[in-house]
Amino acid sequence: MGQGPYVFGIRHLSPAGAYYVRDFLDQVSPRLVLIEGPSDFTDLVVDLGAEGVKPPVAVMAYTKELPIRTVLYPFAEYSPEYQALLWAREHGRACRFCDLPSDVFLGMRAAAEAREAAASEAGTAAEAGEPAASEAGTAAKPEAGQAARETPGKAGGLPDLYKALDEQCPDKDHETFWERTMEQAGDWAGYEAGAKEFGRSLRELESRSAADFAENLVREAYMRRQIACAGKEGFALGEIVLVTGAYHVEGISGDLPAMTDKEEKALPRLESMKTLMPYSYYRLSEHSGYGAGNRAPAYYEYLWQGLCRQEPDYGARRYLTGLAAYERAHGGVVSPAEVLEAARLSLALAELHGSRIPALKDLRDGAVTCMGHGAFSEISLAVAHTEIGTRIGSLPQGVSQTSIQNDFYQKLKELKLEKYKSVTVSQLSLDLRENLRVKTKASAFLDLNRSFFLHQLRVLGIQFASVQAVRQDNATWAEQWNLRWTPEAEIQIVEAVLKGDTVEQAAAFELKSRMEGCTGISRMAGIVREAFYCGMPVMVASALKQLQAMAVDAAGVAELADTAESLSVVIQYGDIRKLDRAPLVPILSQLFLRACLILPGECACDDQAASALAEAVGRLAAVGVAHDFLDTDRWNRVLKQVAARDDLNTRLSGLAAAILLEQGKMDSEELGREVERRLSRGIPADLGAGWFAGLSSRNHYALIGRLTLWEKLSGYLDTLDDEEFKRALLFLRRAFADYSSMEKDQIAENLGEIWQVNPEEVSQVLGETLTEDAMELLEGLEDFDFGDI
Amino acid sequence: MSNQNIQRLPAEQLFQKEIDTLIANETHPVPAGWRMSPKSVFTYICGGTSGGLEITPKYIGHERLVEIAIATLVTDRALLLIGEPGTAKSWLSEHLTAAINGNSTRVIQGTAGTTEEQIKYSWNYAMLIANGPSKEAMIPSPVYRAMEEGAIARVEEISRCASEVQDALISILSEKRISVPELGIEVPARKGFSVIATANTRDKGVNEMSAALKRRFNIVVLPAPDSLEAEMEIVKTRIVQLSESLDLGAKLPQEEVVKKVCTIFRELRAGVTLDGKQKLKTTTGVLSTAEAISLLAGSMALAGSFGSGEITDYDLAAGLQGAVVKEDDKDGRVWEEYLENIMKKRGSQWLSLYKECKELNQ
Repeated sequence: MGQGPYVFGIRHLSPAGAYYVRDFLDQVSPRLVLIEGPSDFTDLVVDLGAEGVKPPVAVMAYTKELPIRTVLYPFAEYSPEYQALLWAREHGRACRFCDLPSDVFLGMRAAAEAREAAASEAGTAAEAGEPAASEAGTAAKPEAGQAARETPGKAGGLPDLYKALDEQCPDKDHETFWERTMEQAGDWAGYEAGAKEFGRSLRELESRSAADFAENLVREAYMRRQIACAGKEGFALGEIVLVTGAYHVEGISGDLPAMTDKEEKALPRLESMKTLMPYSYYRLSEHSGYGAGNRAPAYYEYLWQGLCRQEPDYGARRYLTGLAAYERAHGGVVSPAEVLEAARLSLALAELHGSRIPALKDLRDGAVTCMGHGAFSEISLAVAHTEIGTRIGSLPQGVSQTSIQNDFYQKLKELKLEKYKSVTVSQLSLDLRENLRVKTKASAFLDLNRSFFLHQLRVLGIQFASVQAVRQDNATWAEQWNLRWTPEAEIQIVEAVLKGDTVEQAAAFELKSRMEGCTGISRMAGIVREAFYCGMPVMVASALKQLQAMAVDAAGVAELADTAESLSVVIQYGDIRKLDRAPLVPILSQLFLRACLILPGECACDDQAASALAEAVGRLAAVGVAHDFLDTDRWNRVLKQVAARDDLNTRLSGLAAAILLEQGKMDSEELGREVERRLSRGIPADLGAGWFAGLSSRNHYALIGRLTLWEKLSGYLDTLDDEEFKRALLFLRRAFADYSSMEKDQIAENLGEIWQVNPEEVSQVLGETLTEDAMELLEGLEDFDFGDI
Repeated sequence: MSNQNIQRLPAEQLFQKEIDTLIANETHPVPAGWRMSPKSVFTYICGGTSGGLEITPKYIGHERLVEIAIATLVTDRALLLIGEPGTAKSWLSEHLTAAINGNSTRVIQGTAGTTEEQIKYSWNYAMLIANGPSKEAMIPSPVYRAMEEGAIARVEEISRCASEVQDALISILSEKRISVPELGIEVPARKGFSVIATANTRDKGVNEMSAALKRRFNIVVLPAPDSLEAEMEIVKTRIVQLSESLDLGAKLPQEEVVKKVCTIFRELRAGVTLDGKQKLKTTTGVLSTAEAISLLAGSMALAGSFGSGEITDYDLAAGLQGAVVKEDDKDGRVWEEYLENIMKKRGSQWLSLYKECKELNQ
């Protein structure tokens, strides 16, 4: 290698690379170790190598402004970069990252996206040939950019390249080929030779795609510049080792000039921050385009362990026994003989390719044939578990993280939620009531504080916790959560740092900005409710203030009902969540009163509006029942008015009557009179039947129990002529649609009694599925023209 | 007896030249009892070159499965090939034994009437009665002979044999020896002995293999060809071989014809058009690649004997009708629907085939 610097080519996330890079460093014993990775990450070298850091972890850089763009550099224990870093730390040597700074990576990506957007826009316009189409293209753009913003630095544009590489390899699969040539190399020199070959073939293929190739040339020029800088600082070239992807070896070692100051200044930049975050094997496995061949992180960890134990076939054994163990633990039957056969078969497969150690592909095929009886589906879960695994990394306290990450982990610890930090979903039931059996206040309200915290995360859109429906209705003190930690959640937490330094602050900021953009009162009431769930009394108060201001000129009954319902929930929960609900009471009263005043006016509407209104009236009725302080007398008077008036939508009049009936404000006699009046001869069929539909939409049992009602309905139907009957039929059919089949049977019984026929026969006729003719007839009725009424 | 007059030559004779060349140019170690190395077996089956000779591929697509099959036999495990009818199970098994042993004729055909004697050994009863039990009076089964010679025996359609007959294989495969109590001898298997069995997943009313027997096999599932191109390739290769040995007297089918047949078969098999846009009903039959081959061979025979020597849409339609409509009129309706909904709308190239098919499917 002569003059140096020594450039050690690796594959990222390669166990053999991680093992041999240490051998290599031992031998060369450099004073400075340079590692491929954004040069501004050098600040994090100490933290990355710190005691207590458990890989997989990632370094993440993120832009300070929206839309947030990120660059992620994940490290597993078997990352050669990570081991080189550890080596430098153990031997007290200097260690730096030497690739383009993350600002530049982000800047270049933004620039590239802008270029692509411009290009595809031009493409759309050209294709469509019409100006209108090109406008549509522009409108769609921002979303596409948004979706793509999280792709990690190295993934772009690579899949095709690797596909081409697959074609060239004897295994038709480059991963397997490199596993055989590099991971099973045997010593660092062999690994180096393999890496050179790997880099060369990648370079050859990639020089065909101009954009990526150009980016790589820029990176290499920058790395040469970093080496030159180190030289100026007094490191002899022979004292430097550069650990980099095999691809770059040729580019860096070549005679090309280093990047000049002027060139460096000209690079596009986006200001960014950086942080460390735990990572997961699952996430690592998703990014096989990364070029690291890490489709199977857990398997690669076995390989790493095998290298450390100096047992070359350890990985294979561990893999197969892992599969068998998983199968047995999950009810499958795998005999030791089958494991043995799988091992023999995979070895034979490897030998067919001139290798003495089975590669992952051989092992998996062996396992499918012998343990899965030829079907991959039989062991697919075991394979996923054994190849990918569920490991997640962790960082010790005090290691550089963003303030909000620190706060998040601090909170997890305080609230005893640490054990829920796993990649598999775990459930958590909360009882928000005070726990009287414990001494300290903190533990008495542990579950309540947990609930506040989890709701704050939910408001921030951090997918760590999701709330589940509680089985017992109205159990206001119970909550059911599903918790699952993922690197995505961690990224979302980091992104939230732009909103505040702690989870609570960020949640407050989020709610405040929602408030500012809020127009309708029901939305505002929603914010009140969120703030209340999050345990933020100050936010609740300020949202209420705004709500009151808006409520003065509040709009329709439907919106009032929504709002009243939200507030009603808050008031009902109030005690449990330690919230002063007094300020809510006047607002709710005000809203309720307003609803009472405008209800009769709104009830003069068409059928379409009536169904939305009917729902709102139902909700208001529920709110009215729930709270004593509301002016229910007025509410009942309004309902009576609606029920009695003839000039309103009959369905709503019917509904009002139903609610009054339900609350005992209308007696049988009154109902009888009303039925008679509404369903008398001469009343148009759609009005009569519509009224009945409204009446029958609630308290089904009470109606079914009143035989006289059905007699009257039957009598009314008798008065109708054929045309009218058809119209009535349409409404009645809708009215009975949400009756259960048992209820329908009971109605049939009633009718049977009235018509003097066998109730069972009636019920049978009713229960039969409609014939096609009848269906057609009914469908014809739907199109019926009511214009002449 | 001249080879010319034999209807179907065993693989090792048909491809003798290729096998000899591969053996002559062997560079890798040869396992005990084998005639060539596993690598050469692979080349023989999946194609390649050896000593300047082009080796024709015998099995196209899914090369990894062939590797697994060969690796299984290297580890002297028994191999079970399962799959739908016409996925080249027997074909692969024949060629494996032809390459490995140069003899693909140690076959037991599994039927409901197969007895345990046919798996182990039976007797020449005249001699048995006249002289008592002796080696001369014994008739060894193909499995027995394979054990003696250290070779591979084939059991076709193993799931059609009765369970007790299947079970006879268990002790043979685990002990690797047959005992003949009548003679007081035990015959141990020599190195290289193994069994390749085939079984059908589509057949109803067959005897499900016991777990104990299954455990003694490495199971390889052979799927239908995974792309139109692969299937066309298979069909074309086989048609060339068939027309040579059968003297069909017709020209080889045009690329366009093969494509049409494969398209129809694949679509009816998958229940969806190739572009994935339209769902269709599937037929009761399997419509395997093997059927596509015999359909085309049949059409060639029709064209050669009664037509111009070139396959016309009329010949093709007759073949398709027979292949698609196997059971009752249900298949007829499926075929009718396919003709009207799919083929009719495919444009002018398909129009004349559509007309012929419609004519026949009345």
